[in-house]
Amino acid sequence: MSPIDNLELLESRLRLSRRSFLKSTAAGAAALGSGALIRSQDAKAFAYEPYSRDDQLHTVVTSCAHNCGSRHMLVAHKLGDVIVRLSTDDGRYQLDGAYGKDTEAEPQLRGCLRGRSYRQRLYSPERLLYPMGRVGKRGEGKFKRISWDEALDYVAGKMIELKDKYGPTALLDQSYAGASYGVLHKSDQIEGLLARFLGMFSCRTSSWSVPSYQGTTTSSRWTFGTTEDGNEDDTFAHTKLMIMWGWNPAYTFHGGNTFYYMRMAKQRGCKFVLIDPQYTDSASAYDAWWIPIRPNTDAAMMAGMAHYIFTNNLHDQAFIDRFCMGMDAGTMPAWAANTPNGRENFKDYILGSYDGQPKTPEWAAAICGVAADDIKKLADLYARTKPAALKASWAPGRNAYGEQYNRMAAALQAMTGNIGVLGGCAEGVGKAWHAEAVAYPYDQYSNIWFASIKSDRWAHCVLNYPNVKREEVGLWQREDELDGVIPNIKGIFWQGSDWFNQLTNINKEIEAINKLELVVCMDSTITPSGLYADVLLPVATHFERHDVALPWYKGHYYIHRPKVIEPMGDSKTDLQIFTELAYRLGHRTGMGDRFGRTYNPKADRSYWDNPDPVDEAYLREWWETKVMPHQHVDMPWEDFKRHGVYKFKFDKPHVAFREQIEEGKPFQTPSGKIEILSSQLAQISDWTRTMYGYHVPSIPKWIEPWESLNSPKTEEYPFHLISPHPRWRTHSIFNNCSWLRETYEQEVTVNASDARRLSIRTGDSVEIWNGRGRVVVPVYVTERCMPGVLVLHEGAWLDLDDQGVDRSGNPDMLTLDEPSPAGAFAYNTVLCNMKKTNLRHRPGWDKLATARSHVFRRDL
Amino acid sequence: MTDTNDKSRIKAAVQRRKKAVYTPVVPDVQLGFVHNNVDCIGCRACEIACKDKNGLPPGPRFRRVQYVEGGTYPNVYAYKVNVSCNHCAEPACLPTCPTGAIWKRKDNGIVDIDSTLCIGCRRCEAACPYGAPQFIPEQNIVSKCNLCVDEIEAGRKPYCVMACMMRVLDVGPIDLLRENKYPTKAIGPNDEPVKAVRNFANPDLTDPSIVFVAHSKGKVQP
Repeated sequence: MSPIDNLELLESRLRLSRRSFLKSTAAGAAALGSGALIRSQDAKAFAYEPYSRDDQLHTVVTSCAHNCGSRHMLVAHKLGDVIVRLSTDDGRYQLDGAYGKDTEAEPQLRGCLRGRSYRQRLYSPERLLYPMGRVGKRGEGKFKRISWDEALDYVAGKMIELKDKYGPTALLDQSYAGASYGVLHKSDQIEGLLARFLGMFSCRTSSWSVPSYQGTTTSSRWTFGTTEDGNEDDTFAHTKLMIMWGWNPAYTFHGGNTFYYMRMAKQRGCKFVLIDPQYTDSASAYDAWWIPIRPNTDAAMMAGMAHYIFTNNLHDQAFIDRFCMGMDAGTMPAWAANTPNGRENFKDYILGSYDGQPKTPEWAAAICGVAADDIKKLADLYARTKPAALKASWAPGRNAYGEQYNRMAAALQAMTGNIGVLGGCAEGVGKAWHAEAVAYPYDQYSNIWFASIKSDRWAHCVLNYPNVKREEVGLWQREDELDGVIPNIKGIFWQGSDWFNQLTNINKEIEAINKLELVVCMDSTITPSGLYADVLLPVATHFERHDVALPWYKGHYYIHRPKVIEPMGDSKTDLQIFTELAYRLGHRTGMGDRFGRTYNPKADRSYWDNPDPVDEAYLREWWETKVMPHQHVDMPWEDFKRHGVYKFKFDKPHVAFREQIEEGKPFQTPSGKIEILSSQLAQISDWTRTMYGYHVPSIPKWIEPWESLNSPKTEEYPFHLISPHPRWRTHSIFNNCSWLRETYEQEVTVNASDARRLSIRTGDSVEIWNGRGRVVVPVYVTERCMPGVLVLHEGAWLDLDDQGVDRSGNPDMLTLDEPSPAGAFAYNTVLCNMKKTNLRHRPGWDKLATARSHVFRRDL
Repeated sequence: MTDTNDKSRIKAAVQRRKKAVYTPVVPDVQLGFVHNNVDCIGCRACEIACKDKNGLPPGPRFRRVQYVEGGTYPNVYAYKVNVSCNHCAEPACLPTCPTGAIWKRKDNGIVDIDSTLCIGCRRCEAACPYGAPQFIPEQNIVSKCNLCVDEIEAGRKPYCVMACMMRVLDVGPIDLLRENKYPTKAIGPNDEPVKAVRNFANPDLTDPSIVFVAHSKGKVQP
């Protein structure tokens, strides 16, 4: 084609007139039909170094794979076995796809900056390519290369030794979703591959509270009986008022295209409100009314709103009477009067009938720092605008008594009748469309545990064993003789998990880890956690193994993830490693091949060398026996593989609880109602025998957190630190990518008046400290942050100096390992102080990277 | 790699440059960008897509999302101005190039650098009012956005545009974009494209091929 022809082609596509649109659709289908998207083209005068155009490269559709809250398409362009560049969904790959196709029903699944930088993670000097054995002290970072035989025999031997010596709770499962949110090679906190492996080995202590959103999870289960309380992302385009409570989708990219649908809502006249200590990019992009609020006081402000709505008779009494339990005296069940914890109703609590304190907007204003008039104005707006979405995000729930904030939000959503309607919002956790999520063996062995504790209490448990009370570690109740038995943790497995870097109060973890006898880290790169491991097992990334991606949280599609390149170095998949370990353990314990066979029933021991046919068999079975029949998909597996993506089209947008509201189907709670009064909590009298450990009111209440800007501790520690999710990392993943580090810096955000008082300017290094730890970071001074609040994003790779000061600026040096009763991590309940320092900030291991890169570099 | 041994090539290039300095190239169609300063969330996926596409080391950034913020707590505002190369009608970089490596394409108006002629003198970098030319120390050359001419020639849009999660960055014939006659998701139903915004150099200097949807605080008087 001549350049002019090409330009016309572009023109026609850019104009997207009906005629040219149809034409290009046909062309796209033809390209797919021939089985190849690659169109060879003669090299033209192109004044660059040898440069392969996309059409000269081999194109493979795949996706990203981490626990960020969404899942988007990545398209790899390969030359031989090397990925030359990545692009993303351009509309061509789906059924009836065409270049540029991007409709409201089937939007493109465009990858974010983290996914787009994936080549840097894949080919990074920090990549783990060979099994490593520790030779230095824990945390020192000295390892030597060992063979797989040595590594696996060591781990198997130690596992047997610890189980024999310390019993069935000796090994702590700290798997997390960091490695893969796929259907086959799944790392998961509760029911992933590691859980099944340790469970079958009969030695596993589980960690039950989810760091990101346990307050929300517990709240959603109490209130709605499910965590699937979310509407699909496209419903956001239909709302008239969007209250983003502590929610910053411009950073988290939560849900497939949520942020994009919100832009559509804005264009259709939706008004936005942001309640957050920071004026975030979400606020600016959606032109939101910003209401700055003191961290940890959200439930008080919501109570003030509820008071306004009740006293001005703006609540939807018909909705309350029909669907809610415990909202007011009229919706209290008769049995509640005889319960130990369930005699109060929500409205009387708000009006002050029990404690003599009406929760007026003025009362709330004194706590949360928001003017009473603003609370009233917002309450009025929320109660009168229909439909309105109060999107109560997870972050304000990551607090002391964070569950009360989520419960209170649910009460507001219910009293205004915004549940089960298009454009409303009931979340919560917000998981929406239900995917067929499991292609790995899933059976009676999938979640066996002998003790289960709150995830951030492991160090406390290890350090104080056996003098630990069950409520201190949030021990889950059991029906057998192991109930109440404190786990004797002597080893940790990390799979897809950098938890040492990510859990609270790192200094306490450092103290605890030296008491362990086995620490195994399975990961694709070296991580700060890995430095404390005894054995590092190199795990193939999702580019190097066969899987299928499902959406995380919102969106309705599957993306095929073929093995794009061969596994680098000696890396293996998690499933390969656990299968081979199972065979070795079986042979050492007299079970022979039985353990290995049961663990991975479609494989034999040759799986170690040749996993592809087995992985294919699992995935095909999943597609043909689950996806196709359950979800009414008629695309055959082979076609799905050829397209690389399957996008579902719904008759109408998926709205959580639509059936309950429209058809009267009961909610999944014990009462079948929206439980503002929780039937479960109402019955409890002995709190120590529950996993909560401590008292929880059965209706949403404001409870003073143990640290906040209202507490006397501010004399010593005048700043409240919050640690939200960064945009340039997924938790700690991608911290080593220089492209991303160049777009943002690990820095602490400080209000300009605070900075003036302390003579601090943008770019200065400061030390932030409290009784738990010290970190060094540069400062960003801005008017966009509330005075008294510091913002430091989570996930920076720990880099301690010889004084124990973290030079990377990881906020978890300062957080407290004291969870909320419902299990919420108190990541955002932190007081601290700040001063200028001469200590140098070390972003991303710059000082150490050289030595490590020598150790971990791929042999060429 | 820079190859300056071939004197005749340089001679031809310098001649081409001289001609273009006095008689600017008038392209058949001038392609240009549109960016919505308000709806952009500033995620920089476009920047990363560009770096990946062009295989850039840390340092040079062909596309740069500039963050603008102002006001006093709690009355604050923020917006983004997203710029790469503006493929100007009268590029300031072009006359400065001693080897004639910089040229403007006749078919689509893309201002391009022939890397095989660039000697890394960095004069273009100094001349450009928008900071488009980027020096790459590892290769000792200056390079910049070429609007993914390989993708344009294949009938597709550049990587940055196709990376935009909010669909606020787009490319098209600049005259149509300026008149808001070009269908694009970057410009919303109530938006008007403008040539100039605050925090962007005066467009009269070079007649850049870019329009913006301006933030209320980013508007400039015409």
